[in-house]
Amino acid sequence: MSVKNIYLAGVGGQGLVLTTEIIVEVAFSEGYDVKSNDVIGLSQRGGKVWGSIRFGEKVHSALIPKGEGDLLLAMEELEGLRLSESLKNGAKIIFNKEIIFPNRVLIEKDEYPQNIREGLIEKGYEVISLNAKEISRELGNIKTENIVLLGRLSRYLPFKEETWLKVIEIKVPAKTVEVNFSAFKAGRLA
Amino acid sequence: MTNKKILTGNEAISRGFFEGGGMIASSYPGSPTVQILDSLKQYEEIYSDWGTNEKVAMEIAIGGSISGARSMVSMKHVGVNIASDPFMTFTQTKTKGGLLLVVGDDPGLSSSQNEQDSRFWGKFANIPILDPGSPQEAKDFAIEGLKISEKFHTPVLIRIMSRLCHCRSAVELLDREEFVPEGFVAEQGRYSMLPPYSNTQQHFMKERMEKLQNFNEDYKYNLLEEGLGKDFLIITSGLIYESLKELELENISILKLGMIWPLPIQKIKKLCEEYSNIIVLEELLPFIEEQLKINEISAKGKEYFSFTGELTIEDVKRGLNKAGVLNNYTELEVSQNEEIITRTPMLCSGCPHRPVFHILKANNATVIGDIGCYSLGMNEPFEVHKTNISMGASLGMALGVATIQSKIKKQKPIVATIGDGTFFHSGMTGFIQLAKTTENITVIIMDNRTTAMTGGQNTPTTGDYFKEEVGYHCSIPDILKSFGIVDIIVVDQFKYKETKESINNAMKRTGLSVIVTTRPCALNFKIKSSHFYVDENICISCRSCIRTNCPPISMKMYPGHEKKNSYINPDMCVGCSVCSQVCPVGAIKCSSETVQEGVK
Repeated sequence: MSVKNIYLAGVGGQGLVLTTEIIVEVAFSEGYDVKSNDVIGLSQRGGKVWGSIRFGEKVHSALIPKGEGDLLLAMEELEGLRLSESLKNGAKIIFNKEIIFPNRVLIEKDEYPQNIREGLIEKGYEVISLNAKEISRELGNIKTENIVLLGRLSRYLPFKEETWLKVIEIKVPAKTVEVNFSAFKAGRLA
Repeated sequence: MTNKKILTGNEAISRGFFEGGGMIASSYPGSPTVQILDSLKQYEEIYSDWGTNEKVAMEIAIGGSISGARSMVSMKHVGVNIASDPFMTFTQTKTKGGLLLVVGDDPGLSSSQNEQDSRFWGKFANIPILDPGSPQEAKDFAIEGLKISEKFHTPVLIRIMSRLCHCRSAVELLDREEFVPEGFVAEQGRYSMLPPYSNTQQHFMKERMEKLQNFNEDYKYNLLEEGLGKDFLIITSGLIYESLKELELENISILKLGMIWPLPIQKIKKLCEEYSNIIVLEELLPFIEEQLKINEISAKGKEYFSFTGELTIEDVKRGLNKAGVLNNYTELEVSQNEEIITRTPMLCSGCPHRPVFHILKANNATVIGDIGCYSLGMNEPFEVHKTNISMGASLGMALGVATIQSKIKKQKPIVATIGDGTFFHSGMTGFIQLAKTTENITVIIMDNRTTAMTGGQNTPTTGDYFKEEVGYHCSIPDILKSFGIVDIIVVDQFKYKETKESINNAMKRTGLSVIVTTRPCALNFKIKSSHFYVDENICISCRSCIRTNCPPISMKMYPGHEKKNSYINPDMCVGCSVCSQVCPVGAIKCSSETVQEGVK
């Protein structure tokens, strides 16, 4: 099988690193060669964060060649827009309807772009949108927002549900396993 | 069946050190290598602890090594500047227990103040350099490094790129090689580096490097992949090799070096005779390229690839196209039809640095900054910090600036900021210098009880604030008093007015004034308070709260209002109350009566 390229984009504090880690472990458990990469450091202070995951028979670089992203998990709208430029034509975008204002919008020096989702559809991407925060709020823990998104993403990846659940159980804090399971399943059905 | 596990490059280094029989390790937290020491904590066979700074961490590893133990010290690239004093002398000695110096380089400066290329330390210190390209190699090279260190009696530098530090992939796990060190045995000439002992060591180092070069000539980790043609040979190493492999170039030969210093120059020379064009693919400076040129090999590199920043796969393609390697390359079109607004890092919700910057902005202070989360004080909208150089530099620099301003009769109050992590790392010596000054200098010590920027490692004041924490702790005011500094004021900066008065008054006094702000990091020590909200019918749109620059606070158009009023996102607000204190009309209120308290 050819290498599949997944991008994740969001804002520091949204749980992007853990989300990346879970996807990598699942791909590994299912027998794929897998590499990932995420940008942390300064960016965790409310800056932009992104990660990439590549899996297939043989993966060399953790970096995705320009224009070859197959799938994007956009945890925040503006960051999704930013990374969409690295995608293939017609790529799938799991689009979280979540807006986090960057610094220059807060201080009224920039305007947050309008209608990001519509713009991405117009460019020919397959945009699958959901409001993961509202789903996680209904489940009683807004910190599971990223796992809801992961559930939605999982529908487009060739991995078994039981593998996802097994990895989530290991990776999330013990007390939150049940709510994260619910979040994953809710996202998968959303 | 092999035992494989997903590891990051950082975790793989730790695993390799464990498998290779490592016993003692130290470090100072800095991106991108923080996780190396963090993940060593799982191995109970290994003593690992954060050093006060990189120099102390290096000295701990040196102590381990001279006692025969396999030792490791890890740090970010600029950390080596601090550690270089003991290191540049220790390298002259005949290393006993294997010693690894693992250094994380940060091309593109994603979380650093400079982009220095650490490979030059290898040349400067007469030691070999290993350059891993994958987590598997990171682990293998840690084990190899320990062996080479003991065989050739040399410290070994493992240079790891930030991208590899955070890259995850499967790594094969092996058992640990148990190794019991002999312990410290006094040998007068071996570690006492003064003449006459140190003179002979210059020759020892020269011979060591010659032996290492011979060893490297057929080292198994220098891999030649022969392509079909003889037009091009690409010499490369480390992470960038993986990007090159993505291009699947059948006609090109690749020499991937595992040990990049000293180079296997005879092997390379002989090989280069077979090829028409020699291209060096390396990130940052032309380290390998220059060495080849010195040896009269007509290699080309930096005319095709940038000397700064990280090289993407696209950059590699573009460079190889320029070099004539690629035949049918077309630049991908990028839809640059819209400018996407930036997102810069900012202080977290409820960050205790915020009120201090708000006050310094309002009084238009001249502020000499330092390294930590509070470096963000140089960004909009505060733009309070006018400098950012190196750990602890704010203190001496403030004295220099104040002295010159006085000399040219343009006196003004000079303010410096420094955090508790940086205070212990390299601030105390600066304070001793400042203790007797007669210039008007105010130093604000932003004691947030943690090394926040690197993920919240403990500092000696963590336990001072949280009395339930066991172990060693100390108080910054007590330390400063012992230096003879008397003008010390301790404030809780979430009491905004009191803090403002303290800072403004201190700036009026000549001599050194110190203000210690005591609120802990909002990320490590969660504030347990209900969120605040804006009563939009009281708000006068003055934007005082906006100027605190807290992530939940923005301007919003409320229904029925003619102009925007401020708004607080309840999901993001942690309840620090600072915005409500700067509001001149009392429009910002707490959603309940809960008293806010710092709790870990």
